Amino acid sequence: MHVLPTPFPWYLSGPATGMCVSGMYALTNKHMGISGSFGSLVTMASSKGRVISWRVTFLLGTVIGAALVAILGGSPQTGLEYGTLSEHLSLPALVLVLFAGSVLIGYGARMAGGCTSGHGITGCATRSPGSFVAVSIFVVTAVLVTLVLNALTGWAV
Amino acid sequence: MTKVHLTAGIFGTLFGIAFTGAGLNQYDVIHRMLSLRNFDPFLIMASAMATALPVLWLLERRAWVTPLGGRLHLRRWPVDRSHVTGGVIFGVGWALTGACPGTASTTLGAGSLLGLVLIAGMGVGFGLRDLTTARTKRIRPRSFAVRRSGHYVPEALLPPL
Repeated sequence: MHVLPTPFPWYLSGPATGMCVSGMYALTNKHMGISGSFGSLVTMASSKGRVISWRVTFLLGTVIGAALVAILGGSPQTGLEYGTLSEHLSLPALVLVLFAGSVLIGYGARMAGGCTSGHGITGCATRSPGSFVAVSIFVVTAVLVTLVLNALTGWAV
Repeated sequence: MTKVHLTAGIFGTLFGIAFTGAGLNQYDVIHRMLSLRNFDPFLIMASAMATALPVLWLLERRAWVTPLGGRLHLRRWPVDRSHVTGGVIFGVGWALTGACPGTASTTLGAGSLLGLVLIAGMGVGFGLRDLTTARTKRIRPRSFAVRRSGHYVPEALLPPL
């Protein structure tokens, strides 16, 4: 049932994302960020919090939204597929790389106080100086590491 | 379940649709972005900022009172060493996996079981960071640390993102 033309062009997705950010602030006075939502999950899991945060319903929403797009527009990455990375790596190696990389992402996001959404979009939209720095640093680092990895492995897509 | 939870759920769903619809949950899309072969994800980030920034700026100037959360207060963080160090660690993980916290939940939602690996890993990374911060706090009392090394601000004291 592929009734939804995907991928959406950037000039639809970008402003729609921006509307989520400004909408959350304008209606609820909340600073939208996904890594903060993961933080709430971790806090809840470590039993400190019995109260379910709005961040958790936001996170659930992103899962539902993704599922809607996958159902209506198709998803090229299902089951155990992970794009071209799963062509290059065996499944155990892939899981290992993804897990190790995710630990770095979680650690770094917690340390920097946000991620590509909380600093990258919301923090820049509130003109937060720390967010500008965090975004510049993680984009530059990620691009450099990717270019080095591409040169070493020859796996560039 | 309050109105705030409901609003967050609705905007989360919209976010998930926009994000996944643009393909940002796919490794290849992010990998091409970080290889500087496809600039659409950068344009998405930039146009999202360009949409939200003027709206928030205007609401702040008008001292907007939000219907569900009191007077609008835009959170800002002063530049801190943790933004640089954390940013570098985050960037390495982002390059290795082509994932960020936003792609982890949408990867799972779009039907990839590996999203579970991403979420588990990020949870472990979060927990590790909190553990090490807690230990630092035990060794160096907060008041001392803040006075001595200006840059040390435990995340627990910052408003969360």
